[in-house]
Amino acid sequence: MKQETYRILIATAAAFATSLVILFTLVLPAEFDIDPLGTGQALGIFGLSSTTETPTVFKEGKVYLSDSVEYVLQPFESVEYKYRMNSDSTLVYAWHASDSVTFDFHGEPDDGPEGFAESYSIGKGLAENGSFFAPFTGIHGWFWENRGADAVTVKLTTSGFYSATLEFRDGFVNERLLSY
Amino acid sequence: MLTTRFLVLSVLPVICLLVLPLMGMAHNISESNARFVEGISGPAIVPFMYLGAKHMVTGYDHLLFLLGVIFFLFRARDILLFVTLFTLGHSITLMSGVLLQVNVNAYLIDAIIGLSVVYKAFENIDGFKQVFGLQLNARLAVFIFGLFHGLGLATKLQEFAISSDGLVTNIVSFNVGVEIGQAIALALILIVLLHWRQRDSFQNHAFIANTLLMTAGFVLTGYQIAGYMWA
Repeated sequence: MKQETYRILIATAAAFATSLVILFTLVLPAEFDIDPLGTGQALGIFGLSSTTETPTVFKEGKVYLSDSVEYVLQPFESVEYKYRMNSDSTLVYAWHASDSVTFDFHGEPDDGPEGFAESYSIGKGLAENGSFFAPFTGIHGWFWENRGADAVTVKLTTSGFYSATLEFRDGFVNERLLSY
Repeated sequence: MLTTRFLVLSVLPVICLLVLPLMGMAHNISESNARFVEGISGPAIVPFMYLGAKHMVTGYDHLLFLLGVIFFLFRARDILLFVTLFTLGHSITLMSGVLLQVNVNAYLIDAIIGLSVVYKAFENIDGFKQVFGLQLNARLAVFIFGLFHGLGLATKLQEFAISSDGLVTNIVSFNVGVEIGQAIALALILIVLLHWRQRDSFQNHAFIANTLLMTAGFVLTGYQIAGYMWA
């Protein structure tokens, strides 16, 4: 066999063999959750591309509750109303106001730093409806402020899985544990 | 000879590892893009052009094949000829594939595209002539593989339910986008290649580079076959 031919055959065989090694040690474990040689586990790449699909049904151990509050806000008055929820718990909500209000739907994690809050929805408007999936354990709820010249009524209705409500108004916090 | 073999064995896996993260990057048009496209009814020239260009620029299988094709093309006329043949090939099957709703398995097509990379790399190391004594028609080959690349593009576009309203405009836009993306990618590949060719070591490295290219082609093929079997 000519040396050139030999060289080409060697290179082709090396290419093929290397691709097999790459496929079986890396690609299959990382992309397809198949780990014939255990390399995926050893290298920590097993299941790299597994998709964790959001379940359609999410079952709850907690009692299902409904709650409704109504506030009259004078010009430049504000109120904050929150629910104590565990991570992954859900609630469905609807609020509407008689006139445009500034709002901030946000949450504060129990283990977060003092004063830390994550906002989910901020804006100015008359109403908002939706469903909420708590990203962490803590208190989650709304801040409303009336920046208009006339009194505004805000009404909130929710149902879902929470254990307490907290009202922040005029510098006071009023926590109400919900009995089952 | 020994050093060459040493290089092949040591550099090869390293380069392939570098290619791996690219595989994680979804080559399929991403989910959010799909939702956007499915929301479109009627002609949308710019979004489809953008998607076409994005698919080409991030499509390592197409890029590796193109790299193989122009690897030993030194004259601008040849580059233009081969790229035109490739473009012609993939445009035919892209357009007709979507319009006629040709139903082919995306994994199998992508496996063939992977093999097109293997083929081109093997040809570049003179394998067909030296090992099999064959003199293949490179122009015909690039055209035929272009047809397969186009089918691959068609399956990607068919993955989302495109509205029949403005379909032709949108496919043409996607196709134009593909060519724009291809031109951008080619320009970048050429810049690197031209610099590389000026070095004396090019001839030596060319053999290793094409061996690496072949490895990448085999990996792509295996990846798609695995996808066909298990995904």
